[in-house]
Amino acid sequence: MDHATLVFASVFPVPSLSHTTPTPVATPDLGYTGTGASFGSPHVANNAGTQQRAVRRSLAWSTATRFLSLPRDLNKAPIGTQRPPDVEDALSYLLVGEGTSQDGEEGIADWYANEARLHFANHVRQGLLESWDKDIELSNAWHVLEDTQQVLQQVQDLYSQPFHDHLLPFVQEAAANITIRASTSSDNLEAETVKAAKRKFEMEIHAVFAHSLPANRFSKTLSYMLYDAACKLFRVQVRHDGIVQGETEPIDTKKVRRRMTLLLIGLKGVGLGQDEAQRALAYAMNKLLDTYISSHYLKVDWYSKQSVTAQLRVWIESGFIPLAELVLECLECDPASIPPLQRKQWQEMALARLGRARVEDLFDFVTNWDRSSGAILDLKDYLRLDGAKEYLKGNFSRQVSRRLLHPGATTTYILNVYIFIIRAFHKLEPKGVLLQSVARPIRKYLKEREDTARIIISSLLIDPNDGNSVKTASAGELSFEVASEMAKPFAHAEDADDEASWNDMSWQPPPYDASPEYRKSKVEDVIFFLLTLWDRDDFINELKNIFGDHLLKCQDPEFRKEIRLLELIKIRLGEDKLQACEVMLRDVLESRRINETIRRASDQTQDQPSQTPEILDPKTPRPRRAATSTPLVKPPPGPALSAHILSSFFWPILRDETFRVPAQIESLQRDYDTRFERIKGMRKLRWMNALGESRITLEFDDRTEDFEHLTPWQVSVIYAFQSQPGEEWAGKGKGKAKSEGITRSAEQLEEMLEMDDSLVHQALAFWVGKSVLLEVSPDAYTVIERLDSSTKDSDAAAAAQELAEVQAAQSTTVKSQADLLNERKDVYMSFIIGMLTNQGNLPVMRILMMMRMMVQGGFPFGAEEVKALLTEMEGTGKVVPLGGDVWGIRK
Amino acid sequence: MALSSGARTNGSGGATVAQRLQKELMDIMMKPTPGITAFPDDENMSRWTATIDGPSSTPYENLVFKLSMEFGPTYPYAPPTVLFKTPIYHPNVDFSGRICLDILKDKWSAVYNIGTVLLSLQSLLGEPNNSSPLNGQAADLWDKDMDEFKRLVLARHKTPEELDAADL
Repeated sequence: MDHATLVFASVFPVPSLSHTTPTPVATPDLGYTGTGASFGSPHVANNAGTQQRAVRRSLAWSTATRFLSLPRDLNKAPIGTQRPPDVEDALSYLLVGEGTSQDGEEGIADWYANEARLHFANHVRQGLLESWDKDIELSNAWHVLEDTQQVLQQVQDLYSQPFHDHLLPFVQEAAANITIRASTSSDNLEAETVKAAKRKFEMEIHAVFAHSLPANRFSKTLSYMLYDAACKLFRVQVRHDGIVQGETEPIDTKKVRRRMTLLLIGLKGVGLGQDEAQRALAYAMNKLLDTYISSHYLKVDWYSKQSVTAQLRVWIESGFIPLAELVLECLECDPASIPPLQRKQWQEMALARLGRARVEDLFDFVTNWDRSSGAILDLKDYLRLDGAKEYLKGNFSRQVSRRLLHPGATTTYILNVYIFIIRAFHKLEPKGVLLQSVARPIRKYLKEREDTARIIISSLLIDPNDGNSVKTASAGELSFEVASEMAKPFAHAEDADDEASWNDMSWQPPPYDASPEYRKSKVEDVIFFLLTLWDRDDFINELKNIFGDHLLKCQDPEFRKEIRLLELIKIRLGEDKLQACEVMLRDVLESRRINETIRRASDQTQDQPSQTPEILDPKTPRPRRAATSTPLVKPPPGPALSAHILSSFFWPILRDETFRVPAQIESLQRDYDTRFERIKGMRKLRWMNALGESRITLEFDDRTEDFEHLTPWQVSVIYAFQSQPGEEWAGKGKGKAKSEGITRSAEQLEEMLEMDDSLVHQALAFWVGKSVLLEVSPDAYTVIERLDSSTKDSDAAAAAQELAEVQAAQSTTVKSQADLLNERKDVYMSFIIGMLTNQGNLPVMRILMMMRMMVQGGFPFGAEEVKALLTEMEGTGKVVPLGGDVWGIRK
Repeated sequence: MALSSGARTNGSGGATVAQRLQKELMDIMMKPTPGITAFPDDENMSRWTATIDGPSSTPYENLVFKLSMEFGPTYPYAPPTVLFKTPIYHPNVDFSGRICLDILKDKWSAVYNIGTVLLSLQSLLGEPNNSSPLNGQAADLWDKDMDEFKRLVLARHKTPEELDAADL
């Protein structure tokens, strides 16, 4: 029976092929009697021999098939083990005798296999499929598989029994005959033949079984079963849809193992242990690996901060691989053991997955450095694998740009994270190549932030061990990480060039992904990374500004912190560049000495006990800025003055509002001038009244109050409420600060003090906030001599105080960039006009470059500011944009 | 480290000239004179381009002239070399743009600076010194036939744009 017929028959049942109906017993066709032969002679002629054989075969076939037909009802008694004699003969004839199949005739073995197939299809399959037709509940997987296996096993036994009992003996006999005839006296061949026939039959049955089940579903179910078994064996908690299934009963791993082994062997027995099962195993093991890696076994070690990769290796070697081998053994696969090469691959695969899982959360690990060093150590192992670096770089960069480099993150936060990154990546890869590429976008971003330099430098100036300075510093503006880094001892790289050292036995080539300009940064010093964010000169300029501000505000007469900071920065940036800062520091230190000298001198000559000057001394012939007057308005001890003498050439541009200081102070300043000139040759002092700090005592009718850390303009304003020499106001006494009735408006004050109105208002707001002044009518202020009468207005005072605080926070001693730009805008604009007129049309970058080169004192701005200037000039019709960032003079 | 420091100096002389020129530039920018601008060509400051507007009520009214200035290492003790880049028809300027002006030659003094030189040149446009002409024809016409003079001035003049176009 050829294949095509069978296929056809499987779809359209052909009665003649339906072998459940044995061939009917019919009159044997004895053939025709040949010429000259007697009719019906038993001696059949040769030509009739074939015909007779067909008849005989047909009869035998009929007998055999009738006997071998499988019962329709599974519960009916199977075919008996005893063969009736006629069947014995028929089978013998069909398998051993002349009736063996020839020339494509169907053999009885084939027929039986087909019979089994049809039987299975018609009677068993339906019942089996009932459980497979719908999705299998995961919790049912075990049962379904076990049931299926049992049914199939039963059916297989049913089919095999007659085959074994009734067909195989004859096959063996036939084989034996052949063996004898071929006179090859080997039992082997005989056995082989039997085995082959048996195997063939089994294969056919198994194929029927295998095809009767939905392959995908079976494979998935089996895969889940294996996975479930593995999870139970390793006691891994499994999550289904994110819900951790509570372990209802303690798992008996031995039981699980036995159950699984039995099931697998059973499945193998019914032919379901083939490719599908192996594929299912592969899926299961794959999933198991993932599950295990995300399980509690491989959690980041937050406590002892160790790597867990060793655990992973051990598990792969002693848990994962043996399990796989066990399953393979049950399925009787070949080979049943894992070759060493594959073991290694699995190790790497597991490590790679662990690494990837860690990389996913690397940002969090970095921000939790160094408690997370266990995770970093895991990654360090992972990085040895191919492609790991690239993966880590790409993924981490994405995390950084999504989670860090956005406007919502404060600069302090970014700096702190950057420091963590430096530390963590140093551990990860001491060579620093990875850090370099990961940090690049962060550095770029930090450079773009305006306040980065300020925060870094201010942070450098605080002392992390000093509780006071930490408290006073506004937390958002300072990075304590930076500060604590600064406090660490500086590991100076002594051996500058050990790349060329022949004696370095631990030398290694730079990593393969190092860029050509890669230079191993010896300094794992975080500060080094921060200080190299900018061009050194830019950084030093910014440092100068902040340092100057800091010096002027500093309360410590010894300037210990500042000296220390300067020394530390000098080591890192080189001494030559920090000359200006050194001069600034020396200025403030020297000012103290000069103050002493001058005070002593004036004590002697004048007998006036009040001078406490601190002054900065000008070193160059340019006008010096003497800052800071410290006046005391309280007369009895007389006001005292001390000054900082600053060498204007070296200091950043400072605030320089001019206004008149109280007369007493003015005279003190003059006095100081003359004495200074006597000491310092012909050097001149220029007083910068805006920069001072003052302490005063105010006496009211009902109280006396002391104020410290006042700005000079605040003092000047309040002093103006005292009756002036030329004015005929009531209260005379020098000591009595205010007489009732003096009311002044802001304009008046501006005029009297020649002071900027913003300063006047700021000072007025301050005093109102202190409940010293009261706004009696819009823009008219008077002194509150009696507090009780005016407490009613405490709300206004509170509001004003708030305002004053805000304003004070905005005022620094060093001019801000924006102020500077505004102030020098005209000059810059005429530069641009001169440039465009004479050099023709230029692009913004070129303009910026020329400005930087040409403007005396430097042009500390960037392309943004230049563009803003150009746009403003465009508004006034002086220049026109010509496209592509090129600008020209408007003709 | 010293090499990386900002100002490139060609000996101490170069440095002082550059400083002086930078200061002059700053002065010009702080107090711009209407109708006169000047700017260095590149960072070493020794060559400048200047632009002056022709003075009103002269034949050069509404015309714009470009000049080149070159400062030697001895500036300001020696005068700069000044040339008209814009073609100009003028008694004291020849056709290659050379200028005959005493303060650029023997009457030079170190107190002069770029601003004063340019201001002198601007006034020279309105008041040529016809006694020592470089362009005799122009000197003649200035005295005799102002209309023809004006015509020749306009014929010779080129706007900066035309000059740029010619350079290309």
